[in-house]
Amino acid sequence: MVKETVGQLLTEIIKTPSDYSRVSREIEKDDLLDKINICYLSSYTSEVLNPFIIVELAKKGYKGSLYYAPFNQFEQEIYNEDSGLYLSDPSVVLVHSRIEDTHPNLIRRFAKYSDSELTNLSDEIIQRHKLMLEDLRRKSDAKIIVINFGSSQMIEEYFDSSPVVQSQQIYFQKLNNSLLDLCNKIISCYVIDYQKFFTGLGLDNCSDSKLFYMARIPFNSNAQISFGKIISRTIAATLNPTAKCIVLDLDNTLWGGVIGEDGISGIKLSDEYPGNVFKDFQRAILGLRDQGVLLAIASKNNLDDVLEVFEKHTDCLLKEGDFSSIQIHWEDKALSIKKISEQLNIGLDSIVFFDDNPVERDWVRKQLPNVKVIEVPKNEIDYLKALNESMYFDKLTITSEDKTRATIYQQEQQRKNDLNNSVSVDDFLKELKITVKIGVSNEVTLTRIEQLINKTNQFNLTTKRYTSAEIIKLIHDGGKVYWLSASDRYGDNGIVGVMILVKIEPQVWLIDTMLLSCRVIGRKIETVFLAEIMEILRSEGADFIYGSYLPTKKNVIVSDLYSKHSFELSDKENNMWKFNLNKNHIVKLNYIKVSINND
Amino acid sequence: MINELKLKEVISNILGVSINEINDDSSPDNIEQWDSFSHLNLVMAIEAEFDVKLTPEDAMDMLSVKLIRIILEDVQKK
Repeated sequence: MVKETVGQLLTEIIKTPSDYSRVSREIEKDDLLDKINICYLSSYTSEVLNPFIIVELAKKGYKGSLYYAPFNQFEQEIYNEDSGLYLSDPSVVLVHSRIEDTHPNLIRRFAKYSDSELTNLSDEIIQRHKLMLEDLRRKSDAKIIVINFGSSQMIEEYFDSSPVVQSQQIYFQKLNNSLLDLCNKIISCYVIDYQKFFTGLGLDNCSDSKLFYMARIPFNSNAQISFGKIISRTIAATLNPTAKCIVLDLDNTLWGGVIGEDGISGIKLSDEYPGNVFKDFQRAILGLRDQGVLLAIASKNNLDDVLEVFEKHTDCLLKEGDFSSIQIHWEDKALSIKKISEQLNIGLDSIVFFDDNPVERDWVRKQLPNVKVIEVPKNEIDYLKALNESMYFDKLTITSEDKTRATIYQQEQQRKNDLNNSVSVDDFLKELKITVKIGVSNEVTLTRIEQLINKTNQFNLTTKRYTSAEIIKLIHDGGKVYWLSASDRYGDNGIVGVMILVKIEPQVWLIDTMLLSCRVIGRKIETVFLAEIMEILRSEGADFIYGSYLPTKKNVIVSDLYSKHSFELSDKENNMWKFNLNKNHIVKLNYIKVSINND
Repeated sequence: MINELKLKEVISNILGVSINEINDDSSPDNIEQWDSFSHLNLVMAIEAEFDVKLTPEDAMDMLSVKLIRIILEDVQKK
């Protein structure tokens, strides 16, 4: 019943974001589709893709459950075994670090770099991906899908023939080649071509600056739909076992006309229209064979007529020897396919059937429901498209997996020799060279503090909202309001943290508010923030600090903040935690530099 | 004129609330699902559904069903 509802919904026209949103909600109620967990790591607000991915995956028989890591948390998610990534137990992990987000100057100010700087940068980018992807491969069995480098901004308003734009494009092509090389060496790691995606859509159809500047969404709803389709197709391709064999009809499939009627000189197969359509289709079939797909024939014909074509027709690219199994007789095609499956010792579910005759297709579908039957279009011009869009041969073939296996074995050896290869979160954060500054609120910082208090939802222990007037009153009544700013090797993040303390008894303080902007989540800045404030209070003679965690739908990320920082639970009902400044050990970090603002 | 039913349908689809619960005064203040993230989804859906292009200011000002309608009518006039 449920399946029918969702199935029916999916056959409706789903075109607009509103349609997608409605249908994706229905899919979430369904429990008959195959459930798959997916983790999406990205440098932007990827969550916006959710309804599109959900619906497109459902069309392929999957019910996706997606975990979107907070943006720009690649290393934190991959290197930390307790991260949301591993908790979500994904079958597929998507990795999309956009160059516009990580290196905006490579897009906007390409000409400022020297050749050697450019080489260093691309080495750094590839090395970063190498460490991440290899570590992810070690820790998870999930299929990895990497989205390569490209940018709508590169096809934007810039003048295409400018030498700068051209060398920039070459640079990104090289970068993408290196990324592809890297991914090919990692088992079950695939690449989506992002630049091709944008070029294919055209600029007008993919960009909306408003969304990017307001919310870090790099494409408009139209492009989101297309991207959702590509992502879902790729996910399905990594999960579906690739078909091993294609069973082909002959008349009006591999050539135009009927050999038994038209004779060898009458069939359409040549370099002129319409013979060239069939010839090109044959070439594509040979292309499948090159990738290791087995070819077979199920045709109702006289064997001798057919063999004559294979032998003597100069435009017939396919030869008898290209087929692993040939069933040419007047018997039922379902029987032919069964014989092929037995001869080649492969399951019926790894066989694809391609036949222009709808009656034969129907028959095979009914007799052998496991065989994948392609709905062949009426006009031969569309055959190839139907074959490609069926996606049955989308995956990397077994042969190429075999090819890479040797390389992977070598890699393993090298890894054992080089134990330093694995990167810890701490090492990564050390490399970031984070410095923070802490200060007391004043007129200049008040606006930013108010803003953070009113919009921070995730890293916010109590989610209390205050106006600036209320903050001023709080200070007036003896409270303390601290801000924290942070910078790292990539630049200055400005004020990203707020802590408000109120005195509840002499020498006893309560953390009324503690929050960090999502820009800096995952960098352990909270540890130094707490440590520094506690030191200040201790130096002023304080004995105890209390803090509570008020859970909301969005702030799970801080649920264990106090326990992680040696606070003791003092009131379970109210989730109140206590820290004894004279007894408890203050958790500290040595690699984040802290300074106090004395202005 | 803005197609009232269509607007309510879009809001209902994006926010996942029943169409009966939506009236002129519906806003982020009285619909829990209407947070800043779904607001942007709503803006995108409205653009697609009504074939308009909204400025960031339009998007930020659309903070109730009534305001959405007023802004949409305004944009369509232009």
